[in-house]
Amino acid sequence: MECRVLSIQSHVVRGYVGNKSATFPLQVLGFEVDSINSVQFSNHTGYAHWKGQVLTAEELNVLYEGIKLNQVNRYDYILTGYSRDSSFLETVVDIIQELKKANPSLVYVCDPVMGDHGAMYVPEYLLPVYRDKVVPLSSSTQLIIKTVVLTSTDLPSKRGDQFLVALGSQNIVKADGTKTSQKICMDMPKVDAVFVGTGDLFAAMLLAWTHHHPKDLKAACEKTASVMHHVIRRTMTYANEMAGPGKRPSPAQLELRMVQSKADIENPAVVLEARVL
Amino acid sequence: MECRVLSIQSHVVRGYVGNKSASFPLQVLGFEVDSINSVQFSNHTGYSHWKGQVLTADELHVLYEGIKLNKVHQYDYVLTGYTRDTSFLEMVVDIIQELKRANPNLVYVCDPVLGDHGSMYVPQNLYPVYKNKVVPVADIITPNQFEAELLTGKNITTEKDAVEVMDLLHAMGPDTVVITSSDLPSRLGDRFLVSLGSQRKVRPDGSRTTQRVRMEVHKVDAVFVGTGDLFAAMLLAWTHHYPDDLKMACEKTFSVMHHVIQRTISYAHELAGPGRRPSPPQLELRMVQSKADIEDPAIFLKSFFCPPINTSTRRALVLKRISPRRQSACDRITRDLCLVSGAPACSIHPKVI
Repeated sequence: MECRVLSIQSHVVRGYVGNKSATFPLQVLGFEVDSINSVQFSNHTGYAHWKGQVLTAEELNVLYEGIKLNQVNRYDYILTGYSRDSSFLETVVDIIQELKKANPSLVYVCDPVMGDHGAMYVPEYLLPVYRDKVVPLSSSTQLIIKTVVLTSTDLPSKRGDQFLVALGSQNIVKADGTKTSQKICMDMPKVDAVFVGTGDLFAAMLLAWTHHHPKDLKAACEKTASVMHHVIRRTMTYANEMAGPGKRPSPAQLELRMVQSKADIENPAVVLEARVL
Repeated sequence: MECRVLSIQSHVVRGYVGNKSASFPLQVLGFEVDSINSVQFSNHTGYSHWKGQVLTADELHVLYEGIKLNKVHQYDYVLTGYTRDTSFLEMVVDIIQELKRANPNLVYVCDPVLGDHGSMYVPQNLYPVYKNKVVPVADIITPNQFEAELLTGKNITTEKDAVEVMDLLHAMGPDTVVITSSDLPSRLGDRFLVSLGSQRKVRPDGSRTTQRVRMEVHKVDAVFVGTGDLFAAMLLAWTHHYPDDLKMACEKTFSVMHHVIQRTISYAHELAGPGRRPSPPQLELRMVQSKADIEDPAIFLKSFFCPPINTSTRRALVLKRISPRRQSACDRITRDLCLVSGAPACSIHPKVI
């Protein structure tokens, strides 16, 4: 498999968020991953302390220039996630547009990180950038996004309140040219902990499994959700062990057990089923 | 296995050098890798163009401060490689000294990158920093012949010289030294180069012993970048699994290198086309494709203990009048030579060394 991903995300020295969360699993699955680190922090911002440096839009452009000058700016996928800077995001958009011209088949996988539980946790001025510039970036002629996954909702699950509902929808063009869409629904077990980096892992794994199942969102989502399940379970067990009985694990203890989950990443046992709606 | 490595090396957006070369293989082998990127460049500096930003010594310190404030600065290993900045290198030394206080068992694996083939390719003012500050706190170093000579002030023209140089390096600090490549003539001809290793240990009774090994390594007709970084990372991994057996650790490490390089050169030639020299992008290590070899390297080469077989065995081999015990020793050596060269057993005649 010869598949090259450009991932533009954060780097943390310690732990698994952003590029640290996305790169290893994709490499383990055989993808070539080129990574631009949008920041370099000691650790994610859920710890008591965090320190580091951010990349400016200008510096991002300089890195891309280097890739372009060497004529190696050909990618099959782009992956982006958490961003706090609108000019940085706009430069990302420009780069992606150029890369799509170099390879019209390029697929842009975007986690439009803005907030959760009713509130934004990025600056408000990012919303119009996502809505008007980032999200509409898709294949050449149509302003239609091919695949959408609502990773988590408050919709009541048929399996009770220990589960949350995720939904997915994929536009498919059939062999005869007609358009259709596959919509799926998944009930995912809730976990009583706050994880960081799981969204980044999810987007990376969705990239991988939609690559292997390009017309079968059900299969892609089942694999993706199953990887998440295995990694989270392993992480929870270890975190609780580290914290000791009756104590809530710390952010450091809750770091994803990524390298320990290699086998699950390579070949996830499917433990969650998606229903086709 | 719960083992945490702090790797302070370059990051390239595309390709495999520095942290890009070291992290994936270590993670695949189950190590937790914390990585501080000393630079972020588009690609390595062997391409026609390269662009990016460097981390200052202050910025390095800030990152370390974050780790320390969260009290997560316990590391089992530190790994460093190519650096161009003396103040950065000095900050690295300060950090390592502090980390060693936090964990006295910490092992510092250092590739003392200074130059090769007779000339320095880092600024000259790095040399005293390596010699006086870095190497003394290192536990494992992976110099090439030029770097080993430069650090000790002694030239290597024979295996005996190499052993003396490695002893001088031990005296400077590191208990494990691997001279990754040398110009010494190989026993297997000029398509091979010689690498040597030396590991100093203290026995339970307090006495000192040194294990020395010699590897005959296939030469490859190409310039690779990032192989030294991969080597140091894999030596870290395999000395971790074989802390008292440098021979085994080296066999695994050199074997991984062999598999990755062979895969890379095949692919590079395929991309370049017949009769054309592959370009730097085409020569990027086939790292993700080599995952299985990294996880479980098939031993491709064998190493020899130094000094080699003794005089009486040598004479016995020549005269072919040997006892069964010596016969098995000779068979083993013959088999070892065959494994290295790939030639069938009957065509190898152990040469008088």
